[in-house]
Amino acid sequence: MTVQLQPPFRYVGHKRRVREDRRFVAGGGHYAADLVLAGMLHCAPLQSEHPAARIVSIDASAALALPGVHAVLTGAQLAAASEPLMNGANTPLVVRYPLAVGQVRYAGEWVAMVVAESRALAEDARELVQVEYEQLPFVTDGEAAMAEGAPLVHPPHGSNVLLDRHFIWGPVEERFAVAPRKLAYRVRWARSSTVPLETFAVTAQWDASQDVLDVWASIQMPKFPDQIARSLRLPGNAVRVHYDVDVGGSYGVKRGIKHAVLVGHLARVLGRPVRLVEDRLENMTGGDMQGPERVFDVELAYDDAGRVHAMKMRALDNVGAYAGRSPFQLGKPIGAIVGPYAIEAVEYHALAVASNKTPQEAVRGFGQAPTNYALETGIDQVAAALGLDRLEIRRRNFIRAEQFPYLIPSGTTYDSGNYAGLLEKTVAVADLFAERDALRAQGLLAGVGIASCLEPSGGNSSFEPLLNPMNRTTTWMESCRIHVDALGGITAAMHTTTSGQAHETLVSVAVAEVLEIPPERIRVIRPDSLASLPSNSPVGSRMAIMLGGAAVRAAQKLRAQLLAIAAHDLGVPQHLLRYSEGDVHAPDGRKLAWQELVIIAHREYFRLPPGVEPGLSASSIYMVPTGGELPKDDKVQMYPCHSFEFHYILVAMDRVLCRPQIRRYIIGHDCGQVISPDVVKGMTLGGIAHGIGAALLEEFSIDAQTGQPTAASFMDYLLPSAHEVPHVEIVHQTTPSPLTVFGQKGSGESGYLGSPAAIAGAINDALAPHGVRVDQLPMRPALLSDLLEGTHA
Amino acid sequence: MKPAPFEYIRAESVLQAQEWLAADPEARVIAGGQTLMPMLAMRLVRPTRVIDIAGIAGLDTIAVGADHVTLGAMVRQVAVERSAAVAQALPLLSKAIRFVGHPPTRRRGTIGGSVANADPAAEIALVAVTQGAEVLTTADAFAARDYFLAPMTTALPAGAMVTGLRFPRVAAARRGTGFAEVAMRQGDYAMAAAACELVLGAGGEVASLRLGIGGATPVPVLLDLAAPTREAIAAALAPLEMMHDPNAGAGYRRRAALALAMQALDEAQREVMA
Repeated sequence: MTVQLQPPFRYVGHKRRVREDRRFVAGGGHYAADLVLAGMLHCAPLQSEHPAARIVSIDASAALALPGVHAVLTGAQLAAASEPLMNGANTPLVVRYPLAVGQVRYAGEWVAMVVAESRALAEDARELVQVEYEQLPFVTDGEAAMAEGAPLVHPPHGSNVLLDRHFIWGPVEERFAVAPRKLAYRVRWARSSTVPLETFAVTAQWDASQDVLDVWASIQMPKFPDQIARSLRLPGNAVRVHYDVDVGGSYGVKRGIKHAVLVGHLARVLGRPVRLVEDRLENMTGGDMQGPERVFDVELAYDDAGRVHAMKMRALDNVGAYAGRSPFQLGKPIGAIVGPYAIEAVEYHALAVASNKTPQEAVRGFGQAPTNYALETGIDQVAAALGLDRLEIRRRNFIRAEQFPYLIPSGTTYDSGNYAGLLEKTVAVADLFAERDALRAQGLLAGVGIASCLEPSGGNSSFEPLLNPMNRTTTWMESCRIHVDALGGITAAMHTTTSGQAHETLVSVAVAEVLEIPPERIRVIRPDSLASLPSNSPVGSRMAIMLGGAAVRAAQKLRAQLLAIAAHDLGVPQHLLRYSEGDVHAPDGRKLAWQELVIIAHREYFRLPPGVEPGLSASSIYMVPTGGELPKDDKVQMYPCHSFEFHYILVAMDRVLCRPQIRRYIIGHDCGQVISPDVVKGMTLGGIAHGIGAALLEEFSIDAQTGQPTAASFMDYLLPSAHEVPHVEIVHQTTPSPLTVFGQKGSGESGYLGSPAAIAGAINDALAPHGVRVDQLPMRPALLSDLLEGTHA
Repeated sequence: MKPAPFEYIRAESVLQAQEWLAADPEARVIAGGQTLMPMLAMRLVRPTRVIDIAGIAGLDTIAVGADHVTLGAMVRQVAVERSAAVAQALPLLSKAIRFVGHPPTRRRGTIGGSVANADPAAEIALVAVTQGAEVLTTADAFAARDYFLAPMTTALPAGAMVTGLRFPRVAAARRGTGFAEVAMRQGDYAMAAAACELVLGAGGEVASLRLGIGGATPVPVLLDLAAPTREAIAAALAPLEMMHDPNAGAGYRRRAALALAMQALDEAQREVMA
């Protein structure tokens, strides 16, 4: 059980400079593509032009004849030398290698990898590789892929359904039978993603004298070194991943395992360092970085007062050509399937369907943002059906503050919350309904959007055994090691990569709080994987909780060591000593200063307590609070902590042009005890911007006739720019979690989890007086305008 | 995204560029490179030679004469944006230029490059057609409305090069202009755009009304208007072919063109009355 530190805090929650800012703003970051090794070779992937085809032959002779070209690796060659990539779903016949083997399954799939002295030369050579294809029927729509007779993406699997799980939690049918009112609706979440400016980049070097593969990669991937080693049939300690590479953006998608396995293999067989840096086209079509693409069919059973008693939800996710971890994105939302509402019974049908599209990867929220959008749409519709205010409907359905800890039907206990409190605090900022009506009086379409959503945080892997009983992984740790050198300097190590979430600031503040030493004096490093303690990675909105927890635990152990040394040296029992800012004080006024304690630990062994090891070093491998159990009766405790966000926004648009403008964006945010205010603010603003993209602009569209992607660059895949992202007013509330070291919860997905729902709600409120509504994202101008016009010209 | 190999050469004069172009039909001219560079990088174009005209003396001048304003092909869009002379003599262009891309692309992008590229969404082309400008080339001068033939297709003869744009000067008295467009995001290619110049006579009567539509149609179109009314604009738009793409269909573009034309007209009217 975690012993919680109590406020007032010395550093936690105080506004301080984010320590990473200096190097990133000043151009001091070290990214994977900055690495230049002697003799390094460059890669260019040859991508499939067909959504489905048998590979009849590959003739690389002309490419290999070009001076400076070192290799053209094919799928068959790589498959012979490696194990398939890890598969999350229980589908052993859905086999995936970094390069297509025998058959291509989506337009953009890597067919061969060309290796040359320069990237430009590799691209020249790529054009000379002759591939003979025999085209096969294909399917790109998720529902069509489930239909009888649909072309099979993986014929040996016998179906395109990769995951089909049906859960019933509580008396669903009973509640539906007695409910006086019901409604059914469908919403669509288009395939969008997080789109980092930095594409995926990896460099690998095989050290033949030590039998070690060194890997520098732009990653945010759990168990990355293990997966490379397993695929390349190497011992775990023969792969050294350098975690000190800076990652130029991720929010889920920087998985890069196929890239790393492939480049690792090439480095080994060619005996030269090999690097692959995707260009934008390769990243968007074949980088396997697209997010969930869902159709939700939902039914709600509610009463005349607007209380929702039961829900049936079917979520159909088109995961693309291979499974990977993406089906799990249907599992994580189970831990907050009822959102902030006291819905008593839930039926959930999770379907992951393969199609001839780019494989899906993890995206911020791991499936939670689409689920929140589906749920919030229903709450708005219940309000509309009853003629109730959309704020009132939420007040009536919220789990009340005094009900926490609160067990939801699917088995997760929410740690803490005060949803109604934050709603009232947020709506007190402005009367957006009055502002809306003023805009309407000017002839504009205007609407208020409301979304109240949860951010489950402290990520663990409970959804893995829940969705795939073959997988019994429940251990999801994060670790920190603190070392005090002989001159008294403090160095703390984290043991994974960081992709812009300011983990160095987090660790330094957490350690500083316990040791009462300014964060600026604490160096934070990321050693390589062979020098690291067990760790996962910064996914699942977990690091404030998990790395913060590990850092505090390690610092507490170190502080205990200092007290033990002082007790022995001063001859005073430990419980009478007082630790303050690195020094230890005895009741009689004597003290041992930090430097003195360091000297004892490092140099004056004769002053150490008997049996105590010299030096000052402590570590913690911290397990997810409440985690670790296998599912029981289809129920499981998913994530431990539950942040809450309440979006309250105003959108206006011209009646014909229908380009939505966000006039006000107010968000109430409660992630428990904030550790670094600027980091949380940055996460929230970035998350809202991300949600604006998903709601209004972004889609990895595909031409259904040809199976070709139609958004493969920033020309067609439209990210919101500074012009489209409004000023955001943030309202804070602090409801500490009882489970964490400072009462903190996660915030890495904040903003994004509710902004698409809020924007969709605002647009539908704007459309409502005209008798139309839209239940699909992104809501583009022509879609809205055509609907208003009653045409689809 | 590395271009296929090509030879890069810098022209010292228009004459030299013209000779190189005439000698090699696969050669391409590069001005600001805001379109050509990505196309090269994606190997969508594969010229044998890329002829850089940025170093040609005199091609980047803005000349305001008694009857005309002439912009050289290498005039950067940012120079137009910041030019007080253009704001005074060509206020419609001055307004429209702010809708061209973004500040970083306007810093590199040129007047001639935009005209030569002939993107249907290009604001500079729309203003040129609306105001009856001439496209100056090494072969001939073309009325802008005859120059743009289809998306990315112009009347420029093979081997010729755009050298500038020449606008007629309109007396500044009693003139109003308006520009409006809708794009997916600010700075994106317009799904529809409208440019308007309204000149009143001494008695307050309409001396000249020019209203052009771009973005929605394959090339910018100067509307043939019977009167400055919504009905007249709708009637003028009715026979025009509208483009469609995944972002916006023809119906949306037609409605948007009308709405934007009304906005531009309204802006021009308010300005002339002020």
